[in-house]
Amino acid sequence: MIDAVPLLERVLTPAVLAPLLYPGLATALVTVLLVIWLERKIAARVQMRVGPYYVAPRVHGALQLVADGMRFFFQEVIVPLTAGRGFLLAPALALAFTAAAFAVIPGGPGVVGFKTDYSLLVALAALSLTPPLVLLMGWASNNKFAVLGSAREALLTASYEPLLFMSALAAAVMYGTLDLVAAVEAQARLGVVGLALNPLAALLFFVAMMAATDRIPFDIVMGEQEIVHGPYTEYSGVAYGVVMGLDYVKLYALSLLYANLFLGGWLPFNDPLAGSLVLYVKALAVMAAAVFLRGVYGRLRLDHALDALWSKLFPLAVVSILVSALIAYYLGG
Amino acid sequence: MAIDAGSPAIRARQIGVEEGLRVVELFIGPQHPASGHMRLVVYLDGDVVVKVDPDIGWVHRTMEKLAETREYVKTIPIFERMTIIDSCNITLALVQAYEALLGVEPPPRARYLRTILCELNRIASHLYGLGIGGIFLNHSTMYMWAFGDREVFLTLAEMLTGARLTHTYVVPGGVRRDLPQGFTDAFAKAKRYMLRRLKEYDKIFLRNPVVRSRLEGVGVLERAKAKSLGVVGPNLRASGVRYDARMLGYAAYGELEFEPVVGEYGDSLERIWVRLKEIETSLDLIEQALRQLPEGPVMAERYLKMLPPALRKLVESTGRVKLPAAYVNLRPPPGEALSRAEAGRGEIVYYVVSDGTDKPYRVRVVSPSFRNAVLFMVLPVGHRFMDLPAIYASLDYFPPEADR
Repeated sequence: MIDAVPLLERVLTPAVLAPLLYPGLATALVTVLLVIWLERKIAARVQMRVGPYYVAPRVHGALQLVADGMRFFFQEVIVPLTAGRGFLLAPALALAFTAAAFAVIPGGPGVVGFKTDYSLLVALAALSLTPPLVLLMGWASNNKFAVLGSAREALLTASYEPLLFMSALAAAVMYGTLDLVAAVEAQARLGVVGLALNPLAALLFFVAMMAATDRIPFDIVMGEQEIVHGPYTEYSGVAYGVVMGLDYVKLYALSLLYANLFLGGWLPFNDPLAGSLVLYVKALAVMAAAVFLRGVYGRLRLDHALDALWSKLFPLAVVSILVSALIAYYLGG
Repeated sequence: MAIDAGSPAIRARQIGVEEGLRVVELFIGPQHPASGHMRLVVYLDGDVVVKVDPDIGWVHRTMEKLAETREYVKTIPIFERMTIIDSCNITLALVQAYEALLGVEPPPRARYLRTILCELNRIASHLYGLGIGGIFLNHSTMYMWAFGDREVFLTLAEMLTGARLTHTYVVPGGVRRDLPQGFTDAFAKAKRYMLRRLKEYDKIFLRNPVVRSRLEGVGVLERAKAKSLGVVGPNLRASGVRYDARMLGYAAYGELEFEPVVGEYGDSLERIWVRLKEIETSLDLIEQALRQLPEGPVMAERYLKMLPPALRKLVESTGRVKLPAAYVNLRPPPGEALSRAEAGRGEIVYYVVSDGTDKPYRVRVVSPSFRNAVLFMVLPVGHRFMDLPAIYASLDYFPPEADR
């Protein structure tokens, strides 16, 4: 008989638990439901409406998304006869890559799945693997709207990814590390959060995050009024649930990165439980800010968005790195 | 599964070549989140629109033919359904044509009440267009705000007529109800509210940098082009043409001070701006009409006389017109009449032929949306694909109105 205890010990390691439980998939699922509910409630508040209410009125319709999720699960997944290879593989892989990012993103003091000196880089790399899969979704869907959406995704990805990496690099230069845990420790040492040190980098990271997760005003890939639902047009049932949730999971991952890099992570607490909670609340606040803009803006035009990302924000990203270098020189020297 | 090269599967992605351009043919609608009850066949070269073919007629309901089979008064609710969001403006010209055939004059009070409901309809219709315009740019706040505030004017219309949308308020010879008590106060409150809201619309929508970048300089319609295409309504006025059918002075417009809102450049932003300004004008017109409202009956004496004395007394005391039974058998003498009015989306024209029976021989209607449909072929060409919804948003096009 195989002894179960060593096996369990091997399975129940932070390296497995972090991507799966906290801050990984299980928390991500709850967060996605929470954030979509929050988005709808905030938008409703701005727009003189009530928002979701009928499922569980006592908690103001907070279970609406659970009901929607259940519907997705029991709905038939329709794969069009004309769909190509990778139609269902692409969303699954995209979700897996996004989940992989949680292995290195710290969820609190000591709550890290996989310790590495390059956790920031690994997390961003894992997240930037999803756009090619969105291209695959559009191509495999074999639908003109989906293909147009994929083309938009390709153009937009090539424009926001440099910004995302540059602004992350600005933070890394500021703290002198590519490790997120070390970045938070650096903020603790300096006694100032990154947002106050380099607001420019923080703003640019936020903008790039909005573009990366298809939030309004950068919701060009979905482009409901032109291309129905972009690359996700042909998806139904649980596959639709996954592709729709994908952007929110990504938003959650990037918000955690943002909270760690610019909002001081789990500070002022160093206790794993309180620290994790504080970090989560900070990430939630970032997400709320991201989804609130839906009530303010419309959708940018594709060429305007590309123009803004390259000719206005990219030079600013270069400036933000220089600012970081100066900060590092004065504070570190 | 195997897909051969000639199958529709491959063709869906394939880029064809048409007149030397690498063109994708895109069918937008009628099953599309932002097409309305119509189909736009869009030809794209990359991201640039080469040609747009508006395929109208999807909600054609044979109104003109149906009218030939109904008694005169029964045709009014039919045509009302052309644009239920603007029903008073849409049927006013029809009723005016019938009145010309019958040789009956509405009393002054009825003319003023018609004007009041028409302007209420115009505000509600412009708010509807503004809301739809907002959601075309994915600006959900503008959508919800406009639709929410439209409710104020639907409630006022309900107060006046008893129905939110399909009022059938205007009938040959007058209107069906007198002004209810408290309407003037309710309107004064609504006006104060709306003027405040218009400033907020300006902040969140017209001055919103994202919205501005989508609308400014997009789909420019030059003055001469607008005239030669026969465009009507706010779309015409945005291009700098000072023409409004209300200037003809039908209903009570001839006795009210009124200056049409005229734009300058004729881009999408200006077309939406003209509608917002027209809401202010309409509020002002209603206020004037309420102030100058003459006393007297709301129905022509000719029809009131047909009522039994008891019923007549009831009409006088309640202000609710009971139509005499003979009313359904209106028989205008043989002849023809042409009538026009300014509806929310532009000038609407009715041409009615009577052969002396109780049913019209022919009713021909040229609706404003039908006359504006040509803009789909003209404005988006050469623009980005994403400009197409912006242009659609600015046209305030209502497919059921065009299709009749």
